[in-house]
Amino acid sequence: MTVETRGLTKRYRMGDENIVALDGVDLKVDDGEFISIVGPSGSGKSTLLHIVGCLDAPTDGEVYLKGSRVDYRDKRSLVLLRRHFLGFIFQAYNLIPALTAVENVEYPLYFTKGMRSKSERKARAQRLLALVGLEHRAHHLPSELSGGELQRVAIARALANDPALILADEPTGNLDSKTGRSILELLKRLSTEEGKTIIMVTHDLASAQRMSTVVEILDGRIQNRP
Amino acid sequence: MRELFSLASRQLMRKKLRVLLIVLGIAIGVAAVIGVTALGEGIRVQAVEQIKASHDLTTIEVSAGVSGESVTLITNSKINAIESSPHVALVAPYVKDSYVTQNNTYLAVKGIAAEYRQIHEQQLQIAQGSWFAEAEAAGTPVQVVLGYDVARRLALVEDLDVGDELVVKLRLYGEEGRPVDKRTTFRIAGTLESTGDEHDNEVLMAVTNALELDEKGSYDGLIVKVDDPAFAAAVRERIKDLGLSAHSAQDVIDEVNRLMVAVTLVLGFFSGISLIVGALMVINTMIISVFERTREIGLTKALGASDFDVMKLFLAECVIIGVIGGICGDLFGIGFSVLIDLVGKPFLVSALGGSIGANLEAGSITIVTPTILVAGFAISLVLSVVSGLYPALRAARLSPLDALRQL
Repeated sequence: MTVETRGLTKRYRMGDENIVALDGVDLKVDDGEFISIVGPSGSGKSTLLHIVGCLDAPTDGEVYLKGSRVDYRDKRSLVLLRRHFLGFIFQAYNLIPALTAVENVEYPLYFTKGMRSKSERKARAQRLLALVGLEHRAHHLPSELSGGELQRVAIARALANDPALILADEPTGNLDSKTGRSILELLKRLSTEEGKTIIMVTHDLASAQRMSTVVEILDGRIQNRP
Repeated sequence: MRELFSLASRQLMRKKLRVLLIVLGIAIGVAAVIGVTALGEGIRVQAVEQIKASHDLTTIEVSAGVSGESVTLITNSKINAIESSPHVALVAPYVKDSYVTQNNTYLAVKGIAAEYRQIHEQQLQIAQGSWFAEAEAAGTPVQVVLGYDVARRLALVEDLDVGDELVVKLRLYGEEGRPVDKRTTFRIAGTLESTGDEHDNEVLMAVTNALELDEKGSYDGLIVKVDDPAFAAAVRERIKDLGLSAHSAQDVIDEVNRLMVAVTLVLGFFSGISLIVGALMVINTMIISVFERTREIGLTKALGASDFDVMKLFLAECVIIGVIGGICGDLFGIGFSVLIDLVGKPFLVSALGGSIGANLEAGSITIVTPTILVAGFAISLVLSVVSGLYPALRAARLSPLDALRQL
């Protein structure tokens, strides 16, 4: 099992209001599973993704990644989890404008220096770009790529450190439906062919249902999964 | 490491104008410091060269040593000790006494050894008559040579010429402290050409005669000549170890060096105030850069970069700015020094005038040494890295989630 949460709760204050973003979420995601978390705005789905992605800490409850409990007070261990275990895909792509496509894919590898030689890293970045079908755009800057191409580069980048778990936050949110569908197909392929576990947050219930297991979340509680 | 700087330079390439402006800011500050320091160094070297040209650096003036209440006299044993020291070529002892003629004309008498004449061979030229011979027996007149001014004065006032004799008095103090006047007869053996220094007002005689007359038993001074100016300092130390005091033109040079280094430091420090402007520019630009790239920092941390990794990314940019600023600063500094030389020198020459001005004209009033250039480069590098520390720390401390939410 890649991910397990037990009684995950997140509360925070916004102005004078106490907001309960997550209210005792128990979620289990198996290895190689592709699940979509669907729910309206403010349902807590992004918060769940951030906590599992070690970007945010829960108020209560526990998260287990590959069977070990995440210690949210240990900053160094969070860095190492993000570095080696997790890959992120964002709605806004978040590519670095100064770097070309292939350099963007290589970027996370700078922080795992020593693990691979420079030529290995270059080759890996090229291979990942080929995997997402963009080898011919390798030396273009983000400003020269279309939305779909940008998201493909971002997916290749998420794969750079060979993470077991990929977290995608509205990856098709900025794309037209046809391009969005091709991105979802690519993610689906990653889970079936590469064995990646994928948790995606999305608005698009219809495509999510076609591609993945859907988990509905409402008011911080999971609706359809025991 | 190379990739870190390649990443940093890619980031900087995206904001060329901004980088150009900071680099200019730093470079102008560095150039101002280099220009001022080069001017100080140039004037220092000129001053030292002038001293070296007009003074003999191989001679050391030795006088009796005084420490507290006790006085170390120059005796023959001290002279022997100095003579046997390495690199000592000549030791010339002398004795100074005050005599008065019968018409109360004051005479400054100096008893000199043969070595003294050897050392001052260039200056001491006989105009009339000849050098003195030592008086052989008591009672015979003591032969003296008159300095240029003394000879003229004695000729005018007392109508004395070469070959003439004169009776003089030397005031000594008896055992019970009573003054005793001792009478002697001088015979003028010759007169000197004008030397332009203290010899014009002196009456010279053999040191053996002088010692017999004044009954002092020790010398008033020594002139020590070394075989190579490089060893002058070592010989001086040796003489000081014997309890005597020693002076040479090096003292003046040391004094000039101390003064000019202090003046240059003060001027350099104040011209360095312009560097504060450069530092503020770096801080400002880097803070803006951190704001602009907040999302990028959040992303970088989400991808597994540690706080220190993020800090390194920003500091690498500062290092590149510092290096470019240092190189430009050095180049501008050289240009600035040339400018000072071209524009400032004619002004200084006309303001100072005379021989100092003429000497300045020959050389350059600014000297840019490798040390100055290395210092200029280092200032730029340290300045931009230190200025970048706070912005880099701010970037490193951003929470990845907050940074990613930023639009």
